Amino acid sequence: MTSDIRHKKMLTIDAKNVDFYYSEFHALKNINIEVEKNKVVALIGPSGCGKSTFLRLLNRMNDLIDGTRMTGSVLIEGKDIYAPNIHVDELRKEVGMVFQKPNPFPKSIFENVAYGLRVNGIKDKTFIEERVIESIKSAALWNEVKDKLNKSAFALSGGQQQRLCIARALAISPKVLLMDEPASALDPISTSKIEELIYELKKDYTIMIVTHNMQQASRVSDKTAYFYLGEMIEYDDTIKIFTNPTELSTQNYITGRFG
Amino acid sequence: MKRFFEKLVEGALLISGSITSITILLIVIFLFKEASGLFNSPVIEDGYVLAFNKDNPVKKLSSYQIKQIFDGAITNWDEVGGKEEPIEVVRLSDLTKYYTEAELGANFENIPAKASELTAKHPGIILFLPNSYIAKNFDGTLLKHETLRPGDFFGGKEWYPTASPSPQYGLLPLLLGTLWVSLGAILLSLPFGIAVAVYLAEISTMRVRNFLKPVIELLAGIPSVVYGFFGLVVIVPFLQKTFQLPVGETGLAGSIVLAIMALPTIITVAEDAMRNVPRAMKEASLALGATQWQTIYRVVIPYAKSGITSAAVLGIGRAIGETMAVLMVTGNAAVIPHTLLEPVRTIPATIAAELGEASAGGGHYQALFALGCILFIITMIISISVEFISSKKYSK
Amino acid sequence: MTPIINTGNIDRKKRISQGVAFTIFKLMSYSVVAMLILILGFIVSKGIGAISWDFLTKAPEEGMTKGGIFPAIVGTLCLVAGSSLFSFPIGIMSGIYMNEYATGNKVATFIRIMTNNLSGVPSVVFGLFGMSLFVNTMKFGDSILAGSLTLGLLSLPLVIRTTEESLKAIDNSYREGSLALGATKLQTIQKVVLPMAFPNIITGLILSIGRVSGETAPILFTVAAYFLPKLPTSIFDQVMALPYHLYVISTSGTDIEASRGIAYGTALVLIVIVLIVNLLANFLRNYFSKKVKTN
Ligand SMILES: Nc1ncnc2c1ncn2[C@@H]1O[C@H](COP(=O)(O)OP(=O)(O)OP(=O)(O)O)[C@@H](O)[C@H]1O
Ligand SMILES: [Mg+2]
Repeated sequence: MTSDIRHKKMLTIDAKNVDFYYSEFHALKNINIEVEKNKVVALIGPSGCGKSTFLRLLNRMNDLIDGTRMTGSVLIEGKDIYAPNIHVDELRKEVGMVFQKPNPFPKSIFENVAYGLRVNGIKDKTFIEERVIESIKSAALWNEVKDKLNKSAFALSGGQQQRLCIARALAISPKVLLMDEPASALDPISTSKIEELIYELKKDYTIMIVTHNMQQASRVSDKTAYFYLGEMIEYDDTIKIFTNPTELSTQNYITGRFG
Repeated sequence: MKRFFEKLVEGALLISGSITSITILLIVIFLFKEASGLFNSPVIEDGYVLAFNKDNPVKKLSSYQIKQIFDGAITNWDEVGGKEEPIEVVRLSDLTKYYTEAELGANFENIPAKASELTAKHPGIILFLPNSYIAKNFDGTLLKHETLRPGDFFGGKEWYPTASPSPQYGLLPLLLGTLWVSLGAILLSLPFGIAVAVYLAEISTMRVRNFLKPVIELLAGIPSVVYGFFGLVVIVPFLQKTFQLPVGETGLAGSIVLAIMALPTIITVAEDAMRNVPRAMKEASLALGATQWQTIYRVVIPYAKSGITSAAVLGIGRAIGETMAVLMVTGNAAVIPHTLLEPVRTIPATIAAELGEASAGGGHYQALFALGCILFIITMIISISVEFISSKKYSK
Repeated sequence: MTPIINTGNIDRKKRISQGVAFTIFKLMSYSVVAMLILILGFIVSKGIGAISWDFLTKAPEEGMTKGGIFPAIVGTLCLVAGSSLFSFPIGIMSGIYMNEYATGNKVATFIRIMTNNLSGVPSVVFGLFGMSLFVNTMKFGDSILAGSLTLGLLSLPLVIRTTEESLKAIDNSYREGSLALGATKLQTIQKVVLPMAFPNIITGLILSIGRVSGETAPILFTVAAYFLPKLPTSIFDQVMALPYHLYVISTSGTDIEASRGIAYGTALVLIVIVLIVNLLANFLRNYFSKKVKTN
């Protein structure tokens, strides 16, 4: 099942000619993006340019909104995720998501992380327990919560809650991790913890992260895509985007001249 | 001037705003005022007395004991704390068994003297006579000022306000009847209500919802007497046939009608509660590969628990207070119910059915107001618990 | 981390259980519609035969087994008018006070809790209360006045709540805009807030009329007459009323079987009132919400 049996050059994410509409509103215009395995891609751009919309296309979260429409194709590990034989719940198991605001369930810390396992039909207690611990450790949260796994997740700080949400997403071992401004609601210390974490996670996952923080984008990502008014203006290596962007609009945004 | 006018208007608005509070206060005052005489009302019919032999050690009898004695259920004084002595029940009409009509006098002018004599002669006698036939020098004990005790009302097992000589105002059969019918109703309508609420809040398309909402509103708008009428002409005969009952007017008929009537309340409140579940919570679940149904029963319903509880409690409240529909279909037998297939009688139905016959200020009238107080207290408890439940949301 | 072992089977199970659950929910939801159709259909089909011009304009005859229900219609109209006269102004003023003057403070919370409590009080308790206060203590006797006041109090919470909600729906920016132009609070409410909230308030009032016209228990001991062919001439007169009439002829009339036709007809009239009220309310709601959007 792991992709090493497959073709080495297989792209993890491959979006082609993607257009997206909220009813009449044309929110994404002809987006093309390719992401290789174990890379971190940052999406940047001014508010309302469609970053979240694009991210939510990758795990078909936009299906939940009435009146939306998409054209073009999105392949994840070579599979067209908008093909009719795809079941969204199976897709979302492969493509995990961390939201802007931490959104733990009103359950215990343990149950939060175990949730994804349980809904996917895993009943083996020891397996669940091992997996929960492993995930919390991967999310760099273990030392802080190991004594209170049965306490409510709401008792954690915002930064801890966000790492819990990351642990929750990791528990079902997705191939791709989508993060929509995962640190925007957090203080600087929690933010740097999340950034370190992303650096660690890169070894096992392909990550796409939306951020408004230029330093963050340049610190954590390998590649950066700049969105503006529903269009992807530029997509290149992060170093290139931040030192020598091709487009003027990109440069203006990065240097803070607008946005 | 303008300022003054503004203040004046604000004052008027404040007064209007306080009307509901004042009304509640007034309801409390008037209901309890009318009911307060209950425990000062005599255990025996107004204008009558009970008399015993003066050597009889029994000086007091409760309302229920009197009823049992006159029904022949108690036949010996030792059962009510007296000596071993058979009870001899004598009513006014029974006097002719002891005396000839000549002895009682052409205009019954000798009754007082004879009654006194009879009581003195018979150690086991209990004599029930109008006040006016009691001589000044009556030779016996008079049970005249005995009043109804709280136990007779709150613990009373019989509601029989026309019983003679001692009307029975026992709350229990009515209270249990009310709870029994309401419980049946809520058991029928809660699963339904929650299912519809889930469907509306989480599953249906906007178009279907826009069709279902007015249907539910309409169901809520149908007057209770129309429900009662429908129950009477459709549900009651149906139950009678299906279960081969002597009468179709049963607790179950009441429960079914009430279940339909409570449905809109339950659906609306539960749906609101589910709509209030944060989107983020549902998205988190879906993003982990849960299906919509898993999300509903693992996240949405647990999160909306307090709202769903409120819905159930409010539904029970509606059922407990409902009057006309229940009055029309439950058969109104004031006995402690054992199954839902017997006639039962609820508190509101009793008030509605009997207040017209009860003379103002009498024991029966006061007992009905006491029932009103009980009903009022139950609904206040329900309102307060709903307030409490809904204030106890998830703290973040 | 190793991926979770093949769970393809689970995925199918999940979807099947979802399919089953959703089908059940759908069926249950539509059975509510079926219930409504059953009740309405039954009463309409049985009652339509009884409806005639005479039925609507004549008094009952021959022990209420023949004739019409005109006095009951008039009585119900009187009660609706009387109770509205009382509950509309007070309810609206109360709603205004809660949303515009006592915003968010303890007084508003207190009034809200009391209003909720009042709306939970069973209608038969209102009947007891109305009898004790209006009929006996204030000596109005069994009269339109006593019945209207009782019904008015009963419908007050509904009026207050809809007013408050209608006002709440209006964005604060409108108020601020008006106040910024130097209008007083009262002027703002009068000229800006109320006109905007008006459509929704009207909808609530119409629904409360529907509720009042069907109430029976509160009028049992405050106004309703068993049989009174004479129309009322003052507010101290007793009247017949549709819901009470239906109750009487279906449970304790002189000849229950013979008056069944009349009973179906009366039930139909009540249902029609409810239908009109609901349709009107829905129509107004849609009409005004469209209008607001296009403006
Ligand atoms: N549910 C929706 N219905 C209609 N339009 C929407 C919806 N969600 C977003 N939009 C519109 O789509 C555009 C893109 O929104 P999106 O949330 O993707 O922006 P974003 O780049 O993530 O912005 P931000 O940085 O503020 O999060 C915006 O103009 C927004 O108004
Ligand atoms: Mg966004």
